[in-house]
Amino acid sequence: MTIRTRLTLWYSVVLCAVALAVMTAALYHEFVIEKHHHRYQGKSESERDSEDLIDILTWTVVPAVAFGLAGGWWLTRQALAPVASLTQAAGRITERNLGEELPRTGNADELDRLAGVFNDMLARLDDSFNRTREFTLHASHELKTPLTVLCGETETALRDESLSAAERERAASQLDELRRLARIVDGLTLLAKADAGQVTLKLEPVRLDELVRDNFEDARILAEPQGIQVELTACEEATVPADRHRLRQLLLNLADNAVKYNQPQGRVTMSLRRVDGVAEFTIANTGPGIPAEFLPRVFDRFFRGDPAHSPTVEGCGLGLSIVQWIASAHSGSVKVDSIPSKITTVTVQLPLAEPAPRIA
Amino acid sequence: MRVLVVEDEKKTASFVRKALQAEGFAVDVCHNGDDALAAARATPFDGIVLDIMLPGRDGLSVLRQLRERKSATPVLLLSARGEVNERVEGLNAGADDYLPKPFELAELVARVRALTRRSGENKSTVLRVADLTLHTITHRAQRGGADIELTAREYRLLEFLMRDAGRICGRMMILEKVWDYDFDPGTNLVDVYIRRLREKIDANFEPKLLHTVRGTGYVLKEQP
Repeated sequence: MTIRTRLTLWYSVVLCAVALAVMTAALYHEFVIEKHHHRYQGKSESERDSEDLIDILTWTVVPAVAFGLAGGWWLTRQALAPVASLTQAAGRITERNLGEELPRTGNADELDRLAGVFNDMLARLDDSFNRTREFTLHASHELKTPLTVLCGETETALRDESLSAAERERAASQLDELRRLARIVDGLTLLAKADAGQVTLKLEPVRLDELVRDNFEDARILAEPQGIQVELTACEEATVPADRHRLRQLLLNLADNAVKYNQPQGRVTMSLRRVDGVAEFTIANTGPGIPAEFLPRVFDRFFRGDPAHSPTVEGCGLGLSIVQWIASAHSGSVKVDSIPSKITTVTVQLPLAEPAPRIA
Repeated sequence: MRVLVVEDEKKTASFVRKALQAEGFAVDVCHNGDDALAAARATPFDGIVLDIMLPGRDGLSVLRQLRERKSATPVLLLSARGEVNERVEGLNAGADDYLPKPFELAELVARVRALTRRSGENKSTVLRVADLTLHTITHRAQRGGADIELTAREYRLLEFLMRDAGRICGRMMILEKVWDYDFDPGTNLVDVYIRRLREKIDANFEPKLLHTVRGTGYVLKEQP
């Protein structure tokens, strides 16, 4: 049944009800007036008529308007309720849950058809997103075979004792680039798989403070050649449900960035605190920083900022994307703040594990 | 030592064979799963390098067949997919090690060596290279009679290199064994640690023991 028919039907029901109510009121009024008529014999005919008119108006028109308003309000609400739920459902849709369908009422009205059309569109979108993901996934798999051959053959060539120093250097430099390419392909594969929901994390209670301390040691060693100071200002005990390897990857990626995008004799400051039921890890570094207009895009894949102003730093361009994925896969979050040429701070928040009895 | 390499990609099979032969292994090569099973039935190999993606019967199925036959031959799985789940699945199916593609050749060789070694060899508690000694129980390192202070990580790195003294150790394998990283962090962490370790064990001594093999890895040995 279409909404138009339904509204017409409902409204006629409302009108009938109002008419019935008004008639009842009128009858009742007639009865009362009769009584009055007998009681106040002394009043003039015209006086009685005007009183009657006012009475009739109060007893019929006011309820009619009130009922009409209430009925109209109820009708609109009934008719628009599916729109509200549709709006809510559509608002929840992102590229990650395109597979979810909007709720259908099943009564084949205009809104139900609209939801149907939306669902078809979502299905098409979902399909094309999936194709893109599959394409990336297949592409990265396909790239691995030739990469394996290239790396292997270059390495075999390097083992050849008869190579001249220059040839050896050339082969070694090629191998470095091949390995970098391999890392990019690895990162792409990981992200493509994460997009497709194909990565399963092995969650277990992990002592984040221990990982942070470990990472602090590594960061100190990484920073030493450039004379960068690394500090750990706080390291509160915090247990989070996490995949240990992925968390270490997150920490190392951030530490590596903090050292790479620093300045000579610069500074890196780390801290881990428990704040409002979450573990908050921050890592701040001196250095050129990130201009405000680039901040929203730093987690984008292969985003490198303004190529004219960013230092040439070797990397695969996927580090922060991977960090963001790891944080969100642990129901956490990551954000970057930066005061250019002063300080850049990355904050990661991860939900703490439910307190469990401590094992000595 | 005789090793079977099962890899359908001919070029990969070829350089893997060359690298293993250079290490003194006798190498047989198969290009599909059924041939591999037949070969493994006919010859008692000391180790098998098995690619997961094979035409017809895939590597995991070959592995399961081998284990059903009660074959205990150590197996190193190779995979282009490199999924965490696949690694677990492979190890559950009875593999002894797993290496994602693209791998470093030195890495593969080191792993095959470790697989075929396994029992007993080099489990001694005092490791020695030239005048450098490492006591694995007391974690005490000495060179030329002088004590060398090592951090926990440096100790593990040195122990790892000394257990494989004379052989090239790949960067990924060091990251896995010393740092327990299952990913390539793309940092020069290993290089920096090696440099520090070199300052401690080599700077004031001759001959130099810790060498970088450009593009391949590191090796601890007496001759350059």
